[in-house]
This record gives sequence, C-alpha cells and structure tokens, in this order.
Amino acid sequence: MSWYITGSGAVASIGHGVDELFTNLCLGQTGLAPLRGFDPENYRARSAYEVDNRPEAGKDVPRRATGLLAEAIAEAASSAGLEDLTDVPILVGTGLRELRSLELWWREGVAFTADELHFGTALRERFGAEVTYTFSNACSASLYALAMGTDLLALDAADTVIVAGVDVLTESMHGLLERVHAAPPDRVRPFDRNRTGVLMGDGAAAVVLRRDPSGQDRGLLRAVSVNCDAFHVTAPHPAGIATAMRDAHDLAGVKPEDVDLVLLHGTGTLLNDEAEATAMADVYGKHIGTPLMAAIKSMTGHTSGASGLMNLVVGMESLKFGVVPPIVGLTDPVDEAADFRFALGEAATADVSVAQINAFGFGGINAVAIVEAVR
Amino acid sequence: MKVVVTGVGVTLPRAASAQSLLNAAARGAVPVDPQDRIGKKGLRYKDRATQLAYCAADVTLRDAGLLDDSGLTVPDASIGVVASSNFGNVDTVTGALDTIAAETTMGTSPMDLPNASSNVIATSVAIRFGLRGPNMMVCNGATSGLDAVFWAANMVAAGRVSRVLVLGVEPDNEAVRKLLGGRRTVDGAIGLVVEHADAAAERNAGALATVGRYIRTGGVRECVDRLSGSDGAEPALLQLPETNAAAPAELLAGVPQYDLGKTWGVTSGALGVMQCVATVGWFADRGEGPVYLLAGGDDDDATAGLVLRRAEVAG
Repeated sequence: MSWYITGSGAVASIGHGVDELFTNLCLGQTGLAPLRGFDPENYRARSAYEVDNRPEAGKDVPRRATGLLAEAIAEAASSAGLEDLTDVPILVGTGLRELRSLELWWREGVAFTADELHFGTALRERFGAEVTYTFSNACSASLYALAMGTDLLALDAADTVIVAGVDVLTESMHGLLERVHAAPPDRVRPFDRNRTGVLMGDGAAAVVLRRDPSGQDRGLLRAVSVNCDAFHVTAPHPAGIATAMRDAHDLAGVKPEDVDLVLLHGTGTLLNDEAEATAMADVYGKHIGTPLMAAIKSMTGHTSGASGLMNLVVGMESLKFGVVPPIVGLTDPVDEAADFRFALGEAATADVSVAQINAFGFGGINAVAIVEAVR
Repeated sequence: MKVVVTGVGVTLPRAASAQSLLNAAARGAVPVDPQDRIGKKGLRYKDRATQLAYCAADVTLRDAGLLDDSGLTVPDASIGVVASSNFGNVDTVTGALDTIAAETTMGTSPMDLPNASSNVIATSVAIRFGLRGPNMMVCNGATSGLDAVFWAANMVAAGRVSRVLVLGVEPDNEAVRKLLGGRRTVDGAIGLVVEHADAAAERNAGALATVGRYIRTGGVRECVDRLSGSDGAEPALLQLPETNAAAPAELLAGVPQYDLGKTWGVTSGALGVMQCVATVGWFADRGEGPVYLLAGGDDDDATAGLVLRRAEVAG
C-alpha cells in the first residue's frame, strides 16, 4: 500500500518554505550562529541553528514553536490545495512541545497557560482544526506521527491527513545536551572522525498525505516503520535501528539495492553516527556503496522532533530534481562509514527514485520511512 | 477487527482497583510512595511521573497476564507502549532552568538529560520492562488520555503490534501546581492493556471490555451526537470531561453520569485512561454497557469521545 504526498512545507534556520530551504541546502549554506535567544554566559556551547525571527535581538519570545509549525502547515495545505482543515486530522510530532514558552513563563512570568503546552489550542484558533494530536516522541517524533497518519488512511478513518513536526531550542535541552559532551560542540559534523557533538536547530516541516491519487502528487510514501529498542534512555542501539530499517524495507517491498538515496539521522554525536553507520552497513551489506547519503543536520542543526519529516520533505525535492545536498563539515569519515557514498563538498546530481529516511530518538525509539518519486 | 481490554492497573492514593475508582474518596489520602509498590531499584534519577508510571505498568502488565516473576510471558516486540501526560517533565525543565541560571550548565546533572525530553515516561517504561513494540508519548491536553487509548487501539488494528500498554500519569509538584494556579493533580498513574482479540484469545486472556468508536471534534454536544449517531445504542453510563465550562444542558438526560475529575483533582492527561479503567470496574460490578467516555470540554481545544462495551455483548 502506498500513500500520496500532495503538499509539503518547511522552515529552518536557512530558509522559509521548501524552495528556499532546499536551494540553500544544495548551496551548502549553514544556519550556525551565536545563540540568539539565551544568555550565552551560562553555556559552554554558544552556537546553534536558530530561525532568526525574534522581534528584538537577544530577547526571546514565547510561542515560537507554534509559529513555525503554523507556517509549515499553512505552506503544506496551500500547496496541496487544502482550504478547510476543520476535520482534517493534523498529527504533530515534537520533542519539546511549547516547553520553551514554559521556560519563559517560569523565569520571566510571560503569559502562558497549561493548555498551550500542546499545539491543539493554537491550531484550533489559527486553522479551526478540531482533530489535532501532539505526539511528544523525541527526535523520531515526526516520523512516528507519519506512521500514525498512514494507519489512519489504511483503516479508512480519514482520506486526508496532515503530518507535521516542530521544535525550537529550549534552555533545558540545549544546556543538558552540552553538559554530556566532554568539550562543547562547535558545529554539527555528521560522520566525521573529528566531530564534537550535536547542536540544536529550530525548524518545522509538514506534509499532506492522501489515500487516493489526486493528479498532483509530489511523492509516494511507501511505508513507515516504528519500534523501540528498549536499550537505554539516551544511547542508540545498532540492532534496534537495523530492525527498524529492515521493517521499513519489508513494509515497502524494497531491497537495499533498490534504495538510491538515504537521508541519514546523522546528528554528529559520537554515539549516534557510529550506531547508525553500523546499522546501515549491517542492513545494506555489499550494497552499502550504492545509495547516495545526505545528512542535512550539518546545515540545519538538530531540529529534534521536526528532523525526520524535514528530511522527508528535502528527500522528495532531491527525488524530483535529481540533486542531493552536500554534508558540510564532513572531510574524514569514521571507519564504520568508510564505504558510504556521501555527497561531499558540493551538491551531487543523480537520478534517484527511492529514498530512505532515518529518525532515531532518546529511549531507542526508531522510525524509518521509504518514499518514491512520482514521475 | 476487534480490540479488547485485557488488563488494568491503578496507582493512586486510596484506590487500588478499577471498582474503587468510582467510589473512593481521594481527599486527604497519603501520596503514593513508589518504593512501597515496586521497591527502590531503578527509581534513582527518575522523575515523579516516570516512577508513578513504573508502578502502574507493573500492576497492569501483571493483571493482563503479560508479566510474572520470571518476566514477560509473550515476545517483547509484541507489546507497545502509549503513555499520556501533559505535566510529566515540567519539574525537570523548570528545575534545570533554575540550575543553569544559578550555576551555569555545569551545575546540572547529566542524569537529567533524558528527563528533559517529554517522552521519558513511555521509553523508561519500555526499558524497565523490555517492551520493544512501538512506543509513543501523547501530550495532547484535555483529551490526551482518550487519544492515547485510541492511538494504541489503532496501532493494534493497523497490525503494527498485538497489544499495547496504555498509561496515563500526572505528577503533583511545585512547578505543576504553579502552572495550574495552585490546584493539585491526581498525582498518580493508571494503566490498561489493549489487545487484538485474536491475540488475547490465543493466550487465553479474558477480555474486560471492547474498544468501540472514537471521535475527536469541536465540542461536547457534537461529540455525543456523533457517537450516538454512529453507535445507535443509547449509552448506559456517561463519563464526563474535566472542565470549567458547564456540561451542555440535558446531555443524554436520564443517563447516569460520573465526573472523575471532581474526586481526584486535576486528572488532565490521565483522565481518559482513568475513565476506561473505571468503566472496566463498572462492568465488573455487572453494569450494562455501552459507556460513553468524554474528555475535553467546551473551553478546551476539542472534545474526544470513546465508546466502551462489555466484552461479552460486543459485536
């Protein structure tokens, strides 16, 4: 069974809208900049990949996650020609909900209420949407939401769904993440031997999924697998990741040699990149050199719950235009990825039809999607 | 495709069974001490919500016959987890913020990192009990608990997994009370197992209830109308949303109503799961179904409704 992707939307530090984001990714532009919304004095890691949209420089404001989410949903709905969202299920995957607004409420007393922690209240106000869900599933949240969306279509509970992902930096996550790094990360360098760790990024992405072909389909979603390796609260587990990939291939009816492009989770942490590369090598075997591989967090930072769907939106553009963004900052790949065909230096051009998207979250929650080009 | 409830568990002050949810008086009760329920092991570094969820998971999995003293009785990948909570990690986030401001990040504990992610409840339970099925955290406001039951049932119906442990949990602490204008939450956790009817039959597990129609829509009245319209049968019991807005007048006049929020404090993300378990208790006391469960009032972003039926009369 396949699902039709009829619209998409995205926003990140390096671009508003799918076109601008994809163009800038292909140009190798990064959104890395000094912290824009926090007092840098409290941190060793003083850079991130934030969307530069605060009204006053250096002064943070609440509800930025909601704003980016609405932007991506509006773009996706509009590009799919959807107008009335009242009854269209909107499934939002997020790692951190509106916890940044909670932080500003706690410290500065900005107005904030408990029913703003999830996005349904704002989506009702903005779009009149009544069937909304906030899934808080760490860094695989938006691909988990995508899986749940396909289930709704499969069970005939809906004929159209919107799936979205969003996150912005929180001080608690930025701070605790840098706390566990021996040296503060200075940028995200996925799969590089000299990588120093992960930095977060702001971002949102959305797609419109339909059960039936619409005549203006942008991509085919073949399958999304989800699992939990139940191994560790933060460390990834190669076996659980490999299982998620094999499940996705089985559900989609593809073999490793059929996959032309992989959008890696690639966070730049010591643990993730090693575990992901090990699992990839295990699943792809002698075909590991076949697919091109991209890791856009080198330019967007880790957009957490949004990152899986952002990779899917970007992957669909690559399938459409035959251009794959480079991995910025990757010069000396780790041993586990020695045979990988990375897009390095500049964007690669290639005729690609089938893409795999990886997303793995804290607690060992893994999700893998397979999309196919519509020609 | 039939999805049934095969186990329930209650971790609340002064209530230990599904039946007692409907008639216990919670006021003045001593808070749950997780150590008393499941021992000290593994509780260190876990936030209150996760500790409460551990207790409810343990008692629920045992009630469903999925866990005994030698471990899981079914393959680990056949059990998923869906947890619902709105205030689960509010204490970790606000605490980390205070520490960072006072002592920089070097004052924080690396052990708090997983707790900064709102899904720590669902994944910690999976890790403690070795549950390798799909794992999801629903943080969806007033309707969150019923939504969680729906998504769990949907995972089963879609063939992703044979059974799902559903948990609803809300902790009471200073930060949460401040967010709620001084009110206290239920400070407990509650669980149920939803399972494919065939998978339950295969392991000779008795069904406690059948999961029926679910709707999420703009308001209470519309939700009830749509449940009745699609369901046909008049409900035998109505479980009311926790709301500041008045329930619509003459809502299913004559149908007995329960309002769990009145007894238990702010139930929030735990409410829908509590309603399901209370309904199972009501069925056990020979109550006749169907029962309509409602979460989210007219002052919330939506109302969710779910129908539960007694297992033996389900069609």
